Amino acid sequence: MDVSVLQQYAPMLLRGFGITIFCWLFGTVLGIVLGLIIALIQRYSPKPVRWLLQVYIEVIRGTPFLVQLFVLYYGGPLIGLRLDALPAGLLGLTIYGSPYFAEIFRSAFRAVPEGQIEAARAIGMTEATIIQRILLPLGLVSALPALVNFSIILTKETVILSIITVPELMYQVQRMSTETFRYVEANLVLALFFWALVEAISRVGRKLETRITKHLIERT
Amino acid sequence: MVQASSVEIRKLDKFYGPFQALKGIDLTIPPGKVTCLIGPSGSGKSTLLRCMNFLEEYDAGEVRIDGQMIGYDSPGGSRMPARKLRDMRRSIGMVFQQFNLWPHMTALQNVAEGLVRVRGFSKDQAAARAAEALEKVGLSDKVANHPARLSGGQQQRVAIARAIAMEPRLMLFDEPTSALDPELVGEVLNVMKTLAAEGMTMVVVTHEMGFAAHVADQVAIMEAGELVAVDAPTRILHSPEDARIKAFLKTYHERNAF
Ligand SMILES: Nc1ncnc2c1ncn2[C@@H]1O[C@H](COP(=O)(O)OP(=O)(O)OP(=O)(O)O)[C@@H](O)[C@H]1O
Ligand SMILES: [Mg+2]
Repeated sequence: MDVSVLQQYAPMLLRGFGITIFCWLFGTVLGIVLGLIIALIQRYSPKPVRWLLQVYIEVIRGTPFLVQLFVLYYGGPLIGLRLDALPAGLLGLTIYGSPYFAEIFRSAFRAVPEGQIEAARAIGMTEATIIQRILLPLGLVSALPALVNFSIILTKETVILSIITVPELMYQVQRMSTETFRYVEANLVLALFFWALVEAISRVGRKLETRITKHLIERT
Repeated sequence: MVQASSVEIRKLDKFYGPFQALKGIDLTIPPGKVTCLIGPSGSGKSTLLRCMNFLEEYDAGEVRIDGQMIGYDSPGGSRMPARKLRDMRRSIGMVFQQFNLWPHMTALQNVAEGLVRVRGFSKDQAAARAAEALEKVGLSDKVANHPARLSGGQQQRVAIARAIAMEPRLMLFDEPTSALDPELVGEVLNVMKTLAAEGMTMVVVTHEMGFAAHVADQVAIMEAGELVAVDAPTRILHSPEDARIKAFLKTYHERNAF
């Protein structure tokens, strides 16, 4: 273990980790928003629209993230979509996560008892109000564990952004490896950083879960 | 005295695919009166009740609330605009077998929600009105409880408060006590009796024969999607002429005999 090399590369590695966290956060938040929109449209629209969105979901879920990223980054310019590495990576992550999030929301919405929606309809609430006041809050509760779980999976997909030269943690680790041949140290750092990130996310997730289910759990 | 609606149901048909759940129902619900719907499981009681606030779409015939057809513009016509339907539903309260309270809101919030979102009350006005409604059902001490912290009987009383806070002119009850432990049935029936005494139009699907006998002004008996009898409770429950009614009541007497 060569500590001096690590010291020398520490600023780069830390910056890389910062970019990893940024990419993950951005991709997760926008992926959740996009997935939520898809799930809502699917719930309320006629068959053809639902079917089109299902095709989108199947295509994205059925292809590796690496391939999607290549298509976006190298194929994009062919249709006039010329993106720098970072924006391409962020957009790619957002798109990649959206169908999984959409499916999570779809089944979470289905878990909201129909009777509670009918109770709202029966007093004359608009569908928009029902979504806002009943469906979303209750859907989020049942979606939360799966949302946290998939956002943890997404942390590890960010390493693929290194291939299109986004200077995130994996990119820096590879650079350090090739420049110093310290593969073990470099990858150990990678592992430690990811472990810390995942641990933090799951802790926050558990906290959120206890908080939002506090009133929903029946006293036994 | 509350304002009370009447309901007229004419030649009502309802299909689930090829299965006909309601077969030409004709029924008049007089204003300010209690009508109990009884009949065996699967006979179409819930379906009929749910047609009255158009939670269930019907296929033919008419359901009129105070003369105004609900769900469609005219008999056999197109669906009424969503806004119009919502307006009609505002004055129809419904109480479900499974309570259907919103679990993420306190008792007070459950009752206040519709007042704020549908009636346009301010938060304070709504809270005051909600507190009144909860007091009426005897739950002043439970306003801050979430449904998970209420007994079944208390939950159902909150559900009734949620409905009456909207000042409905018609109340629909679908087996309001069937999901309750026997010792909790009384508290809910008592609240319903109070409402009946105030002159609310009530349609109650129930298996509580005691309630039907003592509180109902008319009893309607359903079987296999048809209305087989509508009459005063004493006439129906004590000296039924129709063989089907006799058979149906017999199962009740047997079940409740000691
Ligand atoms: N959504 C549905 N799809 C298909 N069939 C249905 C549906 N809802 C009800 N039915 C059928 O319609 C018939 C009437 O149902 P309904 O729920 O009105 O009966 P009920 O008299 O309320 O019975 P219970 O006392 O068990 O509540 C039943 O045969 C039922 O199986
Ligand atoms: Mg029923």
